[in-house]
Amino acid sequence: MTPASAARTATRGGQTAHADWEATRRIPRAAREANAVLAVAARDITSMLKSPSGVITALLMPLLMMGMIGGTLMQNMAGGLGFDFGEFMLVGMLVNMLFMMTTMRMTSLVDDADEAYSAELLVAPVSRYAIVVGKILGSSFMALISCLGVLAVGAVMGITLAPWQLLVFLALAPLLCLSGGALAMIVLGTIKNNTTANAAVMLISMPQMFLAGVIIPISQSSGLLGVLSRAMPMTYCVDLGRAVVYAGRSDYDAVVMFNPAVNLAAIAGITVICLVMGTWLYARSEKNR
Amino acid sequence: MSVIEVEDLVKQYKRAKKPAVRSVSFEVQEGEFFAFLGPNGAGKTTTISILTTTLSKTSGRVQIAGYDVETQHRDVRDHIGIIFQRPTLDRTLTAEENIRIHACLYGMYTYRPTYRMMPASYRERVERLAGVVGVEDSLFTRVSKLSGGMQRKFEVIRSLTHTPHVLFLDEPTQGLDAVARHDLWDYLDQVRREWGTTVFLTTHYIDEAEGADTVCLIDRGEIALCCPPQEMKRRLGASTLEDAYVGYLRHTADDAVPALGGLVASGVGHEGERGRGA
Repeated sequence: MTPASAARTATRGGQTAHADWEATRRIPRAAREANAVLAVAARDITSMLKSPSGVITALLMPLLMMGMIGGTLMQNMAGGLGFDFGEFMLVGMLVNMLFMMTTMRMTSLVDDADEAYSAELLVAPVSRYAIVVGKILGSSFMALISCLGVLAVGAVMGITLAPWQLLVFLALAPLLCLSGGALAMIVLGTIKNNTTANAAVMLISMPQMFLAGVIIPISQSSGLLGVLSRAMPMTYCVDLGRAVVYAGRSDYDAVVMFNPAVNLAAIAGITVICLVMGTWLYARSEKNR
Repeated sequence: MSVIEVEDLVKQYKRAKKPAVRSVSFEVQEGEFFAFLGPNGAGKTTTISILTTTLSKTSGRVQIAGYDVETQHRDVRDHIGIIFQRPTLDRTLTAEENIRIHACLYGMYTYRPTYRMMPASYRERVERLAGVVGVEDSLFTRVSKLSGGMQRKFEVIRSLTHTPHVLFLDEPTQGLDAVARHDLWDYLDQVRREWGTTVFLTTHYIDEAEGADTVCLIDRGEIALCCPPQEMKRRLGASTLEDAYVGYLRHTADDAVPALGGLVASGVGHEGERGRGA
C-alpha cells in the first residue's frame, strides 16, 4: 500500500473505504435514483438539441401525418360523422405524437449499445428502472416538440384547442409518454442491433396509428379489426385524451368509446407490465450471456 | 488488505462447449497495480466483465472492496471506475457534459443543466482532474472533435470523478498512437502516485505491464502465473516482460493446459501462492 493510499484509507466495518469517499455521496439513495433519471433524460435531451435534423424531423412529422393524411380525410370523408372531425383528429394526433415519438426515440437505447455508451450506463450504481425511465423521459422531449408541430399544423388548418384543454392534455402527457416508452421496452429489451430495433419499433407503432382511432374513427370496427383495435395500447391513450378534451360536451358519446376509468386502468396496467418486463429483459440480456 | 478477491471463478457462456473461465482465483491488494495478461480468447474480458458487474458468473466468489459482485452489485459499482476497450464517451456532448452526467449517475451532485449552475465543489473537482494533464481548454469541446488520445484522457478523468477504489483498465490504449499512449500512462502513473488508486489492467501491449506490482497471466481460461514482473522474467529467462510473455505462449501453444511447471522447474508452488495472495 502506498503512503498516499494509506493516508486516505480507513476501515469501515471490515470494508475498506476511501476517507473522502462517503463525503462525495451526499444524496440519499432514493434521491439518487431520481437524480439518475434526470441525468439520463438530460443527456438525451442535450444530444437531441445538438442534432437539428432530429428536431426538424420531429416538427415535420405532423405535417405529413396530420396535414396530408388527416387533411385529405377531412376534406373528402368527414361528412356525416356527427362530430367535428378536425378536432377529433387534432386530439388523436397529439396523443399519437406523444406515444409514437416516444416509442420510436426509445431505439436510442440500442444506439447507445451500438456506440458503447450503454456500458457507461450499465456500470453506474443506479437501478435499471432509473435508466429506462430516464430514457423514456428523454425520448418524450422530442414527442413534445412534435406536439408543437401538430398544434402549428392544426392552427394552419383552422383547428385549435382551448387553453384549458391544452393544459389538461399536458397534464396527461407524462402518462402517455411513459406508456409508449414502456411498450417499446418490450421489444427493445432483447434487441442489440439498431436496424432490427428500428424495424421492430415501426412494426409496433404504425399499426396503432390506424387501429387506435388516431385519425380514423374505430367505434364501428368489428370482427378481427375490432379485436385488434382494442388490443392496441394506444387505443386507450387516444380515448382518454378525447375523454378529457370532450368532457361535458354533447358530442362526448359520439367520440369517446370507454369510461375514462377503464382507459386509465388499461393504460396503467399495460404500462406497468411492459415497463417491468421490458426492463427485466433489458437487464437480463446484458448480463446473462 | 485485499480490495479484489476472486475465488474459483467459473464462467460458461450459453451454448458454449467449454467454460471461458475455469476455476480462476487471485487477490489484488489496496493500491496495487495489477496487470492481467493473456492472448485473445484467454478469458481476460470475461473476467473483467464479471468483476465490473456487467456479466454474471456461473460459479465462484468475487468480492470488490468487500462487496459481493452478484448480491451487492450496486455497492461494487459505487467503488469502481472503468475504462472500456471501446471509447464510451457520448460523442455528441462536450467532455464536461459527459463528466457531469457521470458525477450525477454516481450520486455526487444533483443534475444542473449547465456547468456554471453546478456546485463550486464539482467545478473545482473537474478542473483539478483536467489540470493534471493540462486538458482544461478542451473541457467544453464536443467529444467528436477531440483526438483519440484526448478522448481517452477524458475517459480517465470521468472514471476518477467519483474517487473509485479500483480503476479497471480494459485495453485502455487500444487504437492510440505511441505519443498518446505515453501521455496517458504518464497521467495514470501520476494518478496512482497521488491517489494510490488500485489499478487492474488488461492489455495487449505487454510493455505497459512492466511497472506493475503483479502480473497475472491467464491462458485458456486458467491462471497460468501470478507474480511480480521481475519474477516472471527471471523464471522465463527473459530480459523484458514482453519476451517472457511471448516465450511462455510459444512454449504452451499446443498444450492442453498451461504448464509453466514444465517450462520452469521451480515455479508452480510459488505461483499458486502468488495467485492467492498477490
